[in-house]
Amino acid sequence: MEVNYVLEAYGLKKKYKGFELNIPELKIPKGYATALIGENGAGKTTLLNILAGIQLQYQGEIRYYGKYTDKDREEIPEVKERMGYTAPGSYYVSQWRLGQIAELNELLFSNFHRERFERWCKELAVGAEGWDPKKKVSDLSDGNRMKLMIAGVLARDTAILLMDEPASPLDPVMRDKLCEIIREYLAEDEGQRSVFFSTHNIADMENVTDYAIIMESGKIVEQGFVEDLKEKYLLVKGDESELGKVQKELFNCTTNKYGFEGICLAEKLDRLAGCDISVERPSLTQISVAVMKHFSHVAA
Amino acid sequence: MARAALGRRKKAGEQMRILQNSGVPIYQQIAEQFKAGILAGKYKQGEYLPSIRGLAKELKISVITTMKAYEQLEAEGLVTAVQGKGYYVNAQDSEMLREQHLRKVEESLLEAITAARIAGITDRELMDTLETLLNMEE
Repeated sequence: MEVNYVLEAYGLKKKYKGFELNIPELKIPKGYATALIGENGAGKTTLLNILAGIQLQYQGEIRYYGKYTDKDREEIPEVKERMGYTAPGSYYVSQWRLGQIAELNELLFSNFHRERFERWCKELAVGAEGWDPKKKVSDLSDGNRMKLMIAGVLARDTAILLMDEPASPLDPVMRDKLCEIIREYLAEDEGQRSVFFSTHNIADMENVTDYAIIMESGKIVEQGFVEDLKEKYLLVKGDESELGKVQKELFNCTTNKYGFEGICLAEKLDRLAGCDISVERPSLTQISVAVMKHFSHVAA
Repeated sequence: MARAALGRRKKAGEQMRILQNSGVPIYQQIAEQFKAGILAGKYKQGEYLPSIRGLAKELKISVITTMKAYEQLEAEGLVTAVQGKGYYVNAQDSEMLREQHLRKVEESLLEAITAARIAGITDRELMDTLETLLNMEE
């Protein structure tokens, strides 16, 4: 499978008190949806802010669309024009009204389509009326503010969406809609568009995740196409009597009255030969939790 | 143009049934259903399969899962990938087709044999059952 990359970063470093982001290499595949998974404080927001050009203090190099540098990002409007960024919290000033947000976007981005913005506000039901130019941001709930930001980026012609926790403030119906939006976004320009989003809601987003990057304490600890990860790891279950023999091969082993379960590397499966165990394909959530726990244990 | 695109989508959608919790990986379910369609001649030689991202959208699954299904079909020689265009159906060699069908028959018969053994049905009874069924068909 031939893969191109929409975003690449090399030697990325950022230090805060008690935290260091350290990513020797990051490659986000072009044409796919990539999920950034990690515990609170793993560095997901820092990474997204650096890539989006919001956090400008960092070491390292970034390459956009295979041709632009991070210096170009600040000098060539096209780099940011083709990028849509969303984040939780009050990104838009809370005193602004929806109509002003539309005007501001029109000023900032040459590829912003006002009628598309209004249509998305209606479709996502931002506020009770869907589209009310007089509505203030401060009158919107967290979920509605997120929908407003999503409408804002969908109203532009972009090549990549960088989304920090887009699912968190949304209700289950809207999360489903978000997945649909991402699939539609990717399908509209086959292979040319990419999405990079962070999430804690792995299960909700699994059916729209093509590539997963798992972070722990500022580092990437695992990554790959989801179908490959599901072959790399196996979910193993068995009776407690077998536990002694298999435990050291398992990530995130949990036991209960009736037996144990854990994740193991598929290549280690032959070491469990002769044990009375059952094996199945893990979900992305199961893999992620096991990997995060494993590395957080190593760090501690 | 728009109508033609809609028609193609509908056709693929009608023939796909994806079970999330069947134990069979989703990519395999997709590959098998396309394979059945191709072997049954529902997809003609040279015809393009739905676009990867279009199908993912219709089936509400990830792009990589669809891609893996298509790659499996390609590995089995049923389709060919064209960079930037998608996957088209290969000419089906009649010898190979027969071989594929035969394998399917063998699989089904093996399943019947297993079921018979479990139920303690003798080989003679099994043969009789097959014969009865064959006569019923006629």
